[in-house]
Parts: sequence; C-alpha cells; structure tokens
Amino acid sequence: MALDFNFTEEQEFFRQMVRDAVNRLIMPKVKELDEKEEFPWDLWKEFAALGYLGLRHDEKYGGMGTDTITQMIFYEELARGSCGFSMSATMQILMGTYFIARFGNENIKQKILVPAIKGEKIGTICFTEDQSGSDLAGTRTLATKVDGGWKINGRKQWITNGPIADFATVMATIDPKLGLKGLNFYLVERKTENRDGFVSGQRLHKLGSRCSVTGELVMDNAFIPDENFLGEEIGKGVQYAGEILNEVRVMTGMNALSIAKEAMEDARQYANNRIAFGNPISRYQLIREKFAKFWAWYEASRTYLYKCAWMIQNNIPCIHDCMLAKYHSTEMCMYAVEEVMRIYGGNAFCSEYPPQRFWRDAKFLLYGGGTHEVLCDYLGRIYCKE
Amino acid sequence: MEIYVLVKQVPDPEAIVKVKSDSELEIENKYFTNFFDEIAIEAGLKLREKFGGKVTVLTVDNKKVDALRRGIAMGADDAIQITDPALEGSDQFAIAKALATYLNLKDKPFDLIFAGRQAMDDDAGMVGPAVAELLGIPYVNVITGLEVDDPKKEVKVIREVDGGKEILSCSLPALFTCQKGLNNPRIPQVMNVMKAMKAQIKKVDLAALGLNAEEVGGKAAKIKVQKYLPPPKRPPVKMIKEDFPENVKTLVKLLREEAKII
Amino acid sequence: MSNEIWVFAEQQEGKVRKVSFELLSAAVDFSKKTNQAVGAVLLGNGLQQAVKSLTPYADKIYLIDDPSLASYTSDVYLINMAPFIKEHQPSVLLGGATSTGKDLFPRLAMHLQTGYAPDCTGLTIEENGKLVAKRPLYGGKVFAEVVFSEARPQMATVRNNTFLVNENLKKSAQVISIPSHTDPAALKKKVVGLEKGAGTKLDITEAEIVVAAGRGIKAPENFKIMEELADVLNASVGTTRATVDEGWRDLKDQIGKSGKNISAKLYMAFGISGAIHHVLGIGTCKTVVAVDTDPNALIFNYADYGIVGDLFQIVPALTEELKKVLKE
Repeated sequence: MALDFNFTEEQEFFRQMVRDAVNRLIMPKVKELDEKEEFPWDLWKEFAALGYLGLRHDEKYGGMGTDTITQMIFYEELARGSCGFSMSATMQILMGTYFIARFGNENIKQKILVPAIKGEKIGTICFTEDQSGSDLAGTRTLATKVDGGWKINGRKQWITNGPIADFATVMATIDPKLGLKGLNFYLVERKTENRDGFVSGQRLHKLGSRCSVTGELVMDNAFIPDENFLGEEIGKGVQYAGEILNEVRVMTGMNALSIAKEAMEDARQYANNRIAFGNPISRYQLIREKFAKFWAWYEASRTYLYKCAWMIQNNIPCIHDCMLAKYHSTEMCMYAVEEVMRIYGGNAFCSEYPPQRFWRDAKFLLYGGGTHEVLCDYLGRIYCKE
Repeated sequence: MEIYVLVKQVPDPEAIVKVKSDSELEIENKYFTNFFDEIAIEAGLKLREKFGGKVTVLTVDNKKVDALRRGIAMGADDAIQITDPALEGSDQFAIAKALATYLNLKDKPFDLIFAGRQAMDDDAGMVGPAVAELLGIPYVNVITGLEVDDPKKEVKVIREVDGGKEILSCSLPALFTCQKGLNNPRIPQVMNVMKAMKAQIKKVDLAALGLNAEEVGGKAAKIKVQKYLPPPKRPPVKMIKEDFPENVKTLVKLLREEAKII
Repeated sequence: MSNEIWVFAEQQEGKVRKVSFELLSAAVDFSKKTNQAVGAVLLGNGLQQAVKSLTPYADKIYLIDDPSLASYTSDVYLINMAPFIKEHQPSVLLGGATSTGKDLFPRLAMHLQTGYAPDCTGLTIEENGKLVAKRPLYGGKVFAEVVFSEARPQMATVRNNTFLVNENLKKSAQVISIPSHTDPAALKKKVVGLEKGAGTKLDITEAEIVVAAGRGIKAPENFKIMEELADVLNASVGTTRATVDEGWRDLKDQIGKSGKNISAKLYMAFGISGAIHHVLGIGTCKTVVAVDTDPNALIFNYADYGIVGDLFQIVPALTEELKKVLKE
C-alpha cells in the first residue's frame, strides 16, 4: 500500500496509555501548575517513574528506543495538559539529552544520561544569548582550549529548566569571527564546591507555560574536561544541531496541535451549554464558523505533522516540510486560542475560565525552533528559488 | 496464587451514546478499559506481589483487546481472548458460560477470580456472580477491602452494603467483584506499555471450549432488548431570579406547590 | 393464569425495606391485569414483625424463618430459595436494586437458568404475563426495554422510588412456612462483622430526598450546614467525586459514574458544577434543584429549578425557611 494514514492498533493503544497517564497525573493539576509558577517536583518524580523520559534513548541506558511516530504520539498527548510541563519534559527527552547520547563517552552516559532518563538529573540545552537566538552566528559565549579541557565564558538566556538544571549542552564559539563555523556543543554541569560549571542567573517570569522554569545560565571561566566536548570535529556544531531540528519542529507542532484541540474541546462544551438569546451559542452561525475553520485547519495540520514524523522515521529529507508543518500548526493554534477567547465572551478574560491559559501558553510556541518571521523569510526565499 | 481477572473494554464515560433506531445504538468510537476492571487487575497484581504466582486477564470480545493489553501493561502475566463469531448477540449469562467453561478447562486450578463491580456499558453486574455460580465457588460483590491468608486458603473481605459495611470471610477459591476504594490502580510504566503493544494475545474459540454455537449468542439469550429509548427529556430549567432571601422562599414555594414534593 | 407474581421482601434486622413495599404495590397492580396472585418471599430469623407488615400487601407470604438466615449471604439465601422457586414456578420474581438484591439476583437467575434484568427504572406487564423492564444503559445515556425468553421466573431488580407504596392495600396474606434447607457444612462463606455507617441516615440510593455539596463547600467541616438541611427534610447527604478524592467525605456518599446512581424524588445540588461524571448519576431523579455561584455551571442544564447564588448564604436560609414551612 503506497498510502496508509491509519495508526496501528498498537499505536492507538500507546496513545490511550499516555492519554490516561496525562489524565490522571497532570489534568487535575493544570490550573495549579499555571498559578504557582513553580517547577512541580512531585509531579516530575511521579511522571519520571513511568519511564517516558527515556522514550527515544537506548535501552542500554534505561531508555525505550521507540520510533519517531511513537514519540510524536507521546508529545501530542502530553501537551494536552500543561504546556509548561510538556516544555520541561520534552527538553529532557529530546534537546537536553540528545548530544550527550550522541557524543558522550561511556563515563558521561553513565554519569549524566542514565540519571537523566530516571528524572534524577535535569538537563537543558543553551542556544540563546542577549544578542543571538534565531541568529546563531551572533553567539558570543566563548570556549577556549586549555590543557586537558576547555574554559567556557558567557551568559545564556531563555534557558528552559535553567534555574533547576544539573547539566547543560551549551553552544559556544571558539572564535566569534568564524560565525557559524566556529560553533560547538559542550557539556557543562552545575558548579559545585568540587567542580567548575555554570551558575544560575536571573529567572524569567513568563506570560505562559509557567510551570517550566526559565532563566539565565552564567559561565565564568568554567573549566570542563576534554570529554565534555560533544562532537566528532571542531566547527560542526551547527550541522549537529540540524540533526534534531526536524524533530524539535514537529514536536513543537504537536504541542500546538494539542493545545488547540484541548482549547476547542473546552469551547465546544461551553458553546453547547452557554445560553444566549434563548439558545446555546453553538446554534449561532458565527460561532459555528469558528469551529468549522478550526476543524479544517486542525485536520490539515495534524496530517502534515504525522507525514513529517513518518518522513523523519524513514530517513526521507524533510527539513522544509518540518518547518512548514510547524509553522502551519502553530499559526492554526494561534487562531484556535484566539477564537476560544471570543467564544467564551467576557468570561475568557477571567482566570476562573481556561481560555486565557490556553492563549498565554500557546504564545510560547511562536518562538521555539526559530521565530516565524525568520522561518517565513527563509521559506519564502526557498520558494522563490533565489 | 493462580489469579484470573475478567475484563472488558467499554465506551469511555464521555463518549456520546445515542439511539439510532429501535434496535441500534450509535456509539462514539472512544473506548477505555472498564474502570472497575482496572481495580480488579490491581487487586490481582497486589496479591501476586505478596504471594507470588500468576495473573491472567481474560475477556470475551470479538473485536476489542485493549483491556487485555492494559492488563499486561499494568503487569499481568498472560492474556486470553475468547472470541468466536457465534458469540455475537450473547447475553451476560452466555458470556459467563464461556468464561466459566474456560476456567474449568484449565489444568491448573485457580485460587481467585476478580471482576469489576459492573461494566460501564450495560451496567448489569451480572457476569461476575454468574461465573461464580457456574463454577460453584463463593463470591462477594462490591468489595472495598481484601485480606488473603494464603496458607489457610481463607479470605476476609469488606463489602459495601446499604447504610454500612459488611465483613465476610470465605474459603478459596472464590470470586470477588471490585469497587472503587479497594485500591488505586497503577498507571502503567512505558516499558510495560511497549511490552503490551507487542504482546501476542492468545485466542480461544468455542470449539476449543467444547461449547456449541446454540449455547451462546442471540438465540440462547434469556433476555433481549426489544427497544432502545432516549433518556426522558427534562423541561428547561426554571431559574429563580429574585434576590436573596426572596429566591429561597420562592424555591420552597415551587417545591411545595408546583413540584409537590415537600 | 395460575403462576404467581413474587416479590423478594428484603428485610434488615426484621424490618422490611421500603423498596419491597413499593414492588409489592406494583405487583398488586400487575396482578389486576394478569389475574395472578401476589406472593412475598421473606427469609430471615425472627420475622413476626416483618410478616405482619407484609400481610396487607400480598396474597401469600412464603416464609423461611431460621437461625441460619440471621445474616444475609448469597449462598445461604440461594440454597433456601432455589428449591421452592423451582417447585412453584412463579411467573415473575422482583427485588429491590439494593446491595442485597444486586448480589443475590444475578447468581440466583444463573442458577435457575432464567432471564434477569438488573437495576430497572420501570416495569410494565402485558395481559399474558410477559414482563417488560426498562433499564438505563451507558450510565443513563440511553434506556432499553428488555423482554424475557420463555424461561420462568422473569427476574428483575428495581431501583428505589420507581413505584409508590400503596398504603391503602388491605389484603390478608396467607403465610406459607417453608423449612430451611441450610446445611451449615456446605456454606463456604459467612458474615463475621458489620459496620454501620455513621448516623441513622438512609443510604443515598434509598433516600427520597438527597442534598449534596461538591468542592464548592470549600472544607469538610462545612458539611455541617448540609447535615442540618438534610435533618429538616429527612434527607441524606450526597457528594461528588472531588470531595471524596480529597478525603472530605466517604465513598458511600458519592453520586455519579464511579459512585452511585440515585433516583431520588428530590435532588438538590449545592456548589456542584455538573461534571458529566456526576450528572450521569442523577439522570433518574424526579426533581433537581441546583444552586451555584457560576451562572454558566453545567448543572443548571440538568436541573428543574436553579438559583445563582452562594451556598453558604442559601443553605442556612433554606433550612430556616423549611423549618418554618414544614411546621405549619
């Protein structure tokens, strides 16, 4: 069969199990997670105990070694609850541990990856600085070769899990003048009495996704040993980063997909029960149109995202597809959360009702994996075959 | 201990169920493992953890095996699907007959059988007691407490009764139907979920059980649905809009004079 | 028709439960149509009072009064009931959908190889004696009319408050005493203890009036105002899953999908938002009153009367108003 859009019975079962875990562990706490704006350690431990943090890693280190489609099903279901929690978890599962698993030696894997999969050590990845984000060539954090290792100097911003991280995969340049060609990844651990490393800087207070804590990491002449250089060759950091960007984009698209769906399901229930002028408001055409539009865009987004997942799984080049699908899904989500704010009328403006939370959470997805402005500029250029 | 758990996949409580015609329902394709069956699985697993042995989940269903997969994901050792086209249209007693026949066929004797208080589709609560009757073993329904003395082959259970609780003791083997409060069913670990995804479900048909098609299915049914009906429609709510405390007075007046209840 | 309509007269400590009188009243109505006798089946120990209370409601009372029947277990009831049911072949056997009824009837029906409709919310009978039972499925989202095969008796358990007790019946039942068949050696289980629920309130499934509060009551000690309201109405106090999960109230008082279905004549919900889990449990209540601060609370869609207001204000005022009105 050339085309088959069905999930297998097994995939459906997996989805059901993740959904169920999310329903039981996360859903009852969604409002509290948003309001407290703290990392939920208890929930994290309960969740980690189920083993999902090892979803994409080797069984040798306690992982599950699942395929990409299974992982995407997981991301889709996970974000239904708390976008913030999903951010923390996906950071740990994907970006925060990928390069450790890819380039770390056995010692590093035992020391970092094994406890990370158990949820005992928290990881993150650091790209952004005050002058660089989507523009990686502007990276200033400097890695200087010294005897037996490297010295790292710089400040990284907007770091998901930053304030609680135990280890970080840090992008740094050996010489800012080299631009993209000077960039590499380095494993840096948190500074302790016996070990050099990063310290936490300022914590950020965010509009949404509030239970994933975000802040600055500061490295002041931090020494790391040679084995912490994550790569095979110097200067290939950007190329390595490209290896997971497809996954990161599709994963972000999945988050957008499920926030949009959850918001709309909530709005549907509201619209069916909220009476105005003698009828449930879902009987009015202008309200119905919102659902119809959402539905069309949602289904298109979902199909495209899973196509991308399938392409990644089958090693089919799909960098532009993943960008397009992430862009489409996130914009669809923006539409959905905006319309839910309208369907709820004035109630949407109160914290008692969920639309404002969906709206705030969703905005975060505009920036991960490159702003849409940078993304579209690039995609437009590709399309015009400049 | 040799433990069997009777399970069923049922429509999710939030699934839309509507009357399509006198003889047909329209059920939204949203299924989950009967909530009370999860409690039953958990009860079995807890005992195995304490006394050793084996937990087997068992269902009669021609299509859905997710309840069995969930059983394995939670930690059950084995899963059996009793399936046969002739089972279509069976009533609860025919289902019980298939289950009891299977349990009797086992060369290894069972110690305990657990089932849910009732399935959240037909809400009947009949299969558990009927299986116990066919096997000729003691059973207690709606248990919220359980204490097993394995060497003595004795069990003490707490059962919910109207207005209180009853403590019963009985000998093994026995069958119990489980109620919320007995335990907190575990959330399956992903490792077991993956195992369950790949698990081979053993299938058993009527021939293997030595049952005839006439003994089960629609023709053997002791009860049948003559007609499906939508739930009675409530008139729209009457909101009492006066300010406090007049609204309270009006409510009491309506309950006395319009609804005539108090 | 010669075969009789029987009702299992369930007793607790020698007192026949209300649902049994409801079913006997219905059976008497049915018998007028089918021209059958009405029999009450009564088991227990020390049943003089029970027999007396049943006399106006039946043509016959089948009585097994024996020390072995002092406390209910399905084994001992089944051993005693099955032989004389087989002997008399009644056309219908009804029982309350109580914890005893739901425990005994399925096993008894399997034993007798006959049809059984559990947890019914309506019953009718045709002139030829064929019973039609109405019962909720999928938590009350749909109902089914169920009919029986040729096997007899046609068995059903029926929810409390489905029928009214006819207090004007003036039959004078003939008591037929049946010897007990209990062989103590054959019994595989026994009751070793009984824990009464706190207070003397009826179970929420049995009470005609149920008042309930959910998370909106804010703290377990605040249920005091609910108890006070219940006292005035002779009602029982129910609750939602949320408060049970919080450990504020006992599971036995939980209304809804994972708790109990109630069929009260009057159900009053205070500070209950009306999650689908909860409202599925109140589908067969006759009159529903909802009080909540949120004018959009889903519970209002399931209510007959609604007040947007604070339960801490409404409940005490309602208690006082009812005290005043009911005294008159």
